[in-house]
Amino acid sequence: MDRLRKPETLLALGVIALGLLALYETTQIPVSPMYARVGPTAVAYVASALLIGLGGALLVQSASGRWVSAPQESEAEFDLRALGWLLLGLVLNVGLIGPLGFIPASMLLFACTARAFGSRRPLRDLLIGLILAAVAYFGFAGLLDINIGAGLLEGLI
Amino acid sequence: MLNRRHFLQTTAGAGATAALLPGFTRDAHAAIDQVQFFVPANPGGGWDQTARSMEQALKSANLIKGAQVTNVGGAGGAVGLPQFVNQWKGRGNALMVAGMVMVGALITNKSPVKVTQTVPIARLTGEYEVIVVPAESPHKTLKDLMAAFKADPTKVSWAGGSAGGTDHILAGMLAKASGGDAKKVSYVAYSGGGPALAALLGNQVTCGVSGWGEFSEQVKAGKLRALAISADKHQAGIDVPTIKESGFDVDLVNWRGVFAPPGIKDADKKALIDLVGKMRDSAPWKEQLKAREWTDVFLAGDAYGKYIEAENKRIEGILKDLGLA
Amino acid sequence: MDTLSLLAGGFAVALQPMNLLWALVGVTLGTAIGVLPGLGPALTIALLLPITFSVPATAAFILFAGIYYGAMYGGSTTSILLNTPGESASIVTALEGHKMARKGRAAAALATAAIGSFVAGTIGTLGLTFVAPPLVDFALRFGPADYFSLMVVAFVAVSAVLGASMLRGLTSLAFGILLGLVGIDLQTGQARFTLGLPELLDGINVIVVAVGLFAVGETLYLAARPKSGGSVIRLEGRAGMTKEDWQRSWKPWLRGSLLGFPFGALPAGGAEVPTLVSYFLEKKLSKKPEEFGHGAIEGVAGPEAANNASAAGVLVPMLALGLPTSATAAIMLSAFQSYGINPGPLLLQSQPELVWGLIASLYVGNVMLLILNLPLAGVWAKILTIPAPWLYGGILVFATIGTYGISQSWIDLVLLYLIGGVGYLMRRFDFPTAPAVIGMILGPFAEQEFRRAMTISAGDITTFVTRPLSLSLLIIAVLLLVVPLLLRLRSRTDHKA
Repeated sequence: MDRLRKPETLLALGVIALGLLALYETTQIPVSPMYARVGPTAVAYVASALLIGLGGALLVQSASGRWVSAPQESEAEFDLRALGWLLLGLVLNVGLIGPLGFIPASMLLFACTARAFGSRRPLRDLLIGLILAAVAYFGFAGLLDINIGAGLLEGLI
Repeated sequence: MLNRRHFLQTTAGAGATAALLPGFTRDAHAAIDQVQFFVPANPGGGWDQTARSMEQALKSANLIKGAQVTNVGGAGGAVGLPQFVNQWKGRGNALMVAGMVMVGALITNKSPVKVTQTVPIARLTGEYEVIVVPAESPHKTLKDLMAAFKADPTKVSWAGGSAGGTDHILAGMLAKASGGDAKKVSYVAYSGGGPALAALLGNQVTCGVSGWGEFSEQVKAGKLRALAISADKHQAGIDVPTIKESGFDVDLVNWRGVFAPPGIKDADKKALIDLVGKMRDSAPWKEQLKAREWTDVFLAGDAYGKYIEAENKRIEGILKDLGLA
Repeated sequence: MDTLSLLAGGFAVALQPMNLLWALVGVTLGTAIGVLPGLGPALTIALLLPITFSVPATAAFILFAGIYYGAMYGGSTTSILLNTPGESASIVTALEGHKMARKGRAAAALATAAIGSFVAGTIGTLGLTFVAPPLVDFALRFGPADYFSLMVVAFVAVSAVLGASMLRGLTSLAFGILLGLVGIDLQTGQARFTLGLPELLDGINVIVVAVGLFAVGETLYLAARPKSGGSVIRLEGRAGMTKEDWQRSWKPWLRGSLLGFPFGALPAGGAEVPTLVSYFLEKKLSKKPEEFGHGAIEGVAGPEAANNASAAGVLVPMLALGLPTSATAAIMLSAFQSYGINPGPLLLQSQPELVWGLIASLYVGNVMLLILNLPLAGVWAKILTIPAPWLYGGILVFATIGTYGISQSWIDLVLLYLIGGVGYLMRRFDFPTAPAVIGMILGPFAEQEFRRAMTISAGDITTFVTRPLSLSLLIIAVLLLVVPLLLRLRSRTDHKA
């Protein structure tokens, strides 16, 4: 049971930290002397306080062991490798969509995600990703004339 | 040549590639046959519509062969402008569509990039603002309204678009012109004149300020009363006195115009001014103006440049009065 | 009746061949994406927003409405066959539906869901037809103070009935409110929580949040979970329902519809609450309560009807007040804006052809969906045999399009993935995600109305209790808060263990 409670505690601390960050940012909002009776900070303070308060309550709950989340699945097994592949895909996508364009970035994202979900055939996944990305690209960019990130490859086709 | 043009069209479609190869996207001589529009707003808004109408008019008048529109939206243009000034520098065939809203947004957002860093080409269209009250309001004229404001500013609430926008600016100017304090304007911001309409029709606020187009139908239907319009002289077809006729020295037009990026050659600037001038006189553009009910307020070249500078100062002043700059 | 002639005009629009085609495309697409876990109507409509530049408004909205209704039908298929609800509203359907499927009664579960959806969809659309117009007249009397009190009712309703843990639901809501605050403040023009990034000045797009929490968060969660091989249950045996099934279904359909519609129409919005309430109601009323938890058909029929009726209900505040109460409605409203149409109390006056054409197309779409879903349930179930690696790869690619297509900004992509990470944590630690989206939509709305009211009243806070409308709404909010607490105190045995 103790092992289980630890991540919940961390999460509660995270909520409190978010609330504190929000509180700090609220103090940075300039309030100009204006007609508005209620300034831009009032609700921001409320939201920050809410988060801090709720985080505190979550902390109490996790310390007292009353918070058990998704019991059937929160076993120690946790597929870190899969998550790693997925994160790699996301990072590659953000990094490459600008310089390389939508199709290559999406192809890699697709292949990494497939790998995270247990696929062991990267070449086939890359190919399917390429086809999917190309079809989606021409559907959106070609037919609907919406820019979803054109790169060298898209420009040449 | 055919091959090269084909290459140009495909690469122009690819924004990133075009950025890598700026030299390829313009012809060596000054005549412009491809225009790259830069719209510092998301698709669908007024600036975007202006760019797309220009594209259509220019093409159907055979003034250009093709055009590309790039949208970089956000914060009234404050997100797009730095990109236009830095990354589009020196492109002789680029035009940014923007307007008065951007001038205000740059000031309130304390943007490090100023609109005066671009090369003003021409002012194209404009819309006048109107001050309205609900039909059952006791205020019959603008004088009545401003007298009530002077007597007790807290009793007069003004509905209009977002704080620091055109509507708010006009409210501030009126308050000042009537001898009151712009900071005392009880301004109730909505996300635009349309959303403010419900508050006006429900008699929740004293008066409303927004573009004539936002309120004109309700005025014609008799549900709102137009007190004054912000034009400099009486407008044909709009039976509403101007603010000046009502005794306050205020006029304002919510204009839209085009700008070139910094660092372009003089020949390019001349060619662009020439191109936009020709478009303005063309039949397709006149049709666009009519279809979209835009008022033609054409002003080109150096006169426009001076206008931008004066406008920048005027807006900065009034935003300071409002406590926003 | 005036409404009837307007509706007739709407049918004249909806029955034009092109519009029928758009409706058919919409319901087909909607069913397909509803079946796919992780994809919902909000995401799909967000992806299709760009068509607003090339398609007339009426056609686009008929398409969107078809997707919206279709996704409700499709969502039940996934819940029943895969036990992976495609969206939060179908969670309750999975409770009994999946158990039924395990017992070899998948066909009956799918049938009661489809017919229940049809009944509820039609009742809900009827409600929309006759409630929206009078509501508009009423809505014009609403001032900012009244709107604010209405929002208070919404927040209380959301948090008072928040599923498993009120504390976690409220945390989710607060997180949403915080996200909603990001950007330039409308009333004073000051930047808030932008961390110095100009890209954040316009705030965070609700699409980014919805797609991040739902699609990306779900994918991360499923990837990190040890693979147990969630198996699709094959559809076998005779399709359709027995006589007993019909007898046990028809009352829950009607009760679910009557429950779902008003809940959907409330500014608290959403389908989560009415589906849960319907589930517990049917459990209480059932002659065989012992079957609940082991595949009781009432537990599918009622919540599924409630789900669809609330989908129609959500359209009431959207069309009558311009007030979005769900992520899908919020995205549809942004489509109105891209046509330059102002959603709000005046929409029915200014765009009668659009609004009534849309409403009429809902009736048409419902019939299409019944035809599509009853005999073709097996075909839709085939979608579920797409291997997980490709399915989730595809979902992430489409999530990217939906986000990058709006702004072409990599900052939005980073935000999408960060919010996806938060969505993962919320899923992992059993926080409901819907309150976050609702808080993000309604939070700014409530704030702006509060401050407008204070500006108009010159700083007099009693304006909220001196206006009769506002006062009545606040009293309702207090009742909503106090009554469940009292009920909970009376039976404070559970949750202690």
